Amino acid sequence: MTTESVTGALKRARSGVGNAGSGRPPSNRERRRRVTHSRAFVFFVLPSLILLVLLNLYPVIYAGLQSLRNGDLLSAGNFVGLNNYIAMVQTPAFWHAALFTVVFTLVGVFGSWAIGLALALLLRTRIPAGGLFKVLLLLPWVVPVVVSATSWNWLVATPQSPLPILAEALGLGNVLFLANPLLAQVTVCVFKVWISFPFMMMMMSSALASVDVNVYEASKVDGATAFQTFGRITLPMISRSTYISWILMTIFCVNDFPSIFLLTGGGPVNSTQTLVVLAYSTVFQNFQTGPGVAIAFMMTIVLVIIATLLYRQIRKVNIE
Amino acid sequence: MASQSTGSSFSRRGFLGIAGGVAATAALAACSTGGGSGGSAKGIKFWNMPWGGTEFNPLDKKITLAYAPKSGLGAATYQEIQWANFTQTFSSAVASNTGPAVSSGGGTQAFQFANQGKIAYADNLLDSWKKNGIYDDFFDGLVDTMKTDKGYAAVPYNLDVRISWYNKTLLSEAGVEPPTDWDSYRNVCAALKKNGVYGFGLGSGAGSFTGSHILAAFMINNGGGLFNADKKPDCVTPENIEAMQFILDLVKSGYSDPAAATYTSANVQAQWKAKKFGFGWDGAGLAAGAVGDVAGDLVVGSPLTSPSGKKGGLYFPNNIMMYKNTPSQASSEAFLTYYYQNMKDLWTKKTGIGLPPLKSIADTPEFKADPNNVKIIEEWQPIFKTWAAPGGDGLFYNIANTVDGTAPMITFAQSILGGSTTAKSALTTLQTSMEGLMK
Repeated sequence: MTTESVTGALKRARSGVGNAGSGRPPSNRERRRRVTHSRAFVFFVLPSLILLVLLNLYPVIYAGLQSLRNGDLLSAGNFVGLNNYIAMVQTPAFWHAALFTVVFTLVGVFGSWAIGLALALLLRTRIPAGGLFKVLLLLPWVVPVVVSATSWNWLVATPQSPLPILAEALGLGNVLFLANPLLAQVTVCVFKVWISFPFMMMMMSSALASVDVNVYEASKVDGATAFQTFGRITLPMISRSTYISWILMTIFCVNDFPSIFLLTGGGPVNSTQTLVVLAYSTVFQNFQTGPGVAIAFMMTIVLVIIATLLYRQIRKVNIE
Repeated sequence: MASQSTGSSFSRRGFLGIAGGVAATAALAACSTGGGSGGSAKGIKFWNMPWGGTEFNPLDKKITLAYAPKSGLGAATYQEIQWANFTQTFSSAVASNTGPAVSSGGGTQAFQFANQGKIAYADNLLDSWKKNGIYDDFFDGLVDTMKTDKGYAAVPYNLDVRISWYNKTLLSEAGVEPPTDWDSYRNVCAALKKNGVYGFGLGSGAGSFTGSHILAAFMINNGGGLFNADKKPDCVTPENIEAMQFILDLVKSGYSDPAAATYTSANVQAQWKAKKFGFGWDGAGLAAGAVGDVAGDLVVGSPLTSPSGKKGGLYFPNNIMMYKNTPSQASSEAFLTYYYQNMKDLWTKKTGIGLPPLKSIADTPEFKADPNNVKIIEEWQPIFKTWAAPGGDGLFYNIANTVDGTAPMITFAQSILGGSTTAKSALTTLQTSMEGLMK
């Protein structure tokens, strides 16, 4: 059997029209049965489809139309075409927010992945009270972000907070974790890594659990070092889960509003403002619905592109 | 079979019968006048915000539901509206004509809805109040803050004020008297700094707009402000530059907490509680907040005299508005008249609501029992101005878009409190941003 015919048969089998049996064309009765099945299928799916359209598509279309108008929260406003999009990309605030969104996302994704993977590898080894550690390590992810952000604010906000006192005791002077623009950026990035690494740890733990132990034993027999094992076996074997976790964490980071808004509100002087915070303040503080929704749409487009690229990477991994 | 039996018991005919019955019942219910109010006019909906502590809304509801309308007028129903997403709550309700007949809300909400043609102007109501004494009971000039070109968009309800506070013990330890003008204020800050205490205490962090309010208050104190008589932004004026230069001097001299730009309200209260703030700027409720043992040491300061020789401060006259979408305008007005004649308990029973708009309430022994209240009413209330200063008194539509909790105002405040800008540069940026937000 050629590759083409195997692929074709598999495709037919997946779509439920396989004729791997006798190979003869379906009879009229068979055809009628299939049509009835198809109809039944459509009738069963239709309610969910309608609900899905109403719940997802309608708001998206409505928001899309809003982004083309100059309204506010109280009125729809007039049609202005793509003016909101053009106006937004011409403001320095947009590009500053876009740049910080990229930084925040890169640090959030790869910082949490590195820590999550390291902990997942560590927890594979037999350590006392490993289960308890796993539960405790999950806490930053489990605790509501409002509580986490408030706790971090208490830890760093004023010179009398625990961390500034510690920094002063270490001879670092009066460290303004939230008031200094650069330190505020570092603080929100570290906070994001802190609340996200448990998710990565879980993803990586499950990926590592699926790797066949025999592969490691074989590599050991072949004399591979620990570094070689990690780089040439572990990472490639968990690459599919890694890409999936990167896609998810990228979406989480780009759309993360509460972490930043609760910790710094986007300040000081917009230094920690990401695109989602800028979109919020544009709509709900400045009452500019059109430009705010335009920002959100541009974010969505970029996210879709990133997700598509990473998804292609996953498919490539599957083929390999 | 059981399954067949079940199936036949809920036939299509049966289903239609039940559906018809339900529809008929609903139609009859809709046609009925309902309960005890049979025969009376349709009730009006009053929506109020949680203006005070947990005891505010129950008492407010009690006052509302005790309203007994005259024949032909509707009774009032009560709905508490949370501050979270309140703009969306009101805008969607008003747009779908399911909103209230009477409500409070954001301080500039009435002017936004008036711009949309949704507000029933209060001119007739105020005329009637001139006859029954309520109009003259308002503090002088207060009603004028509600006046627009088309009429009075609302009636004043409670006053949110920005004033100075000091810790009398910390000032005493520093060996200084409370300041009376900008120079003496600078001296107080210097004396407090020697004891490791900040004299320019405030915050402008996440969710805290007080910092930007105080900066605007200093401009107004110096005879400046953000809008001219044409209701257009006019930020880069000599008065404003002088005021912001004064603040920048305080910041650069170390009289302001270097982290103040990102302080939330909770952080500010923590600094008062930790005795790190000896003098600062906040709302009237500071001493009642989470400031711990220092509450008893906190005293309202007197308004400062600016280099221009003027005094002034910023306040936000929160208000109650009436909507065109009402079962009866006469019912809305009659209810509000009743409400203003009976709302005194909201202040005398200390529910935590802002300062009263009526002199008669401010004159009650219960209200006067707090000397800080008395000081605010006697010394601050006469010099307060709105966001519209120096161009005018009346609030207007663009205030909500440009300065009232907007991103440019927060950025402006944080840049000044960060100290890494000049007065003229920061004001010029603010001017440009405000012009961009004007409609």
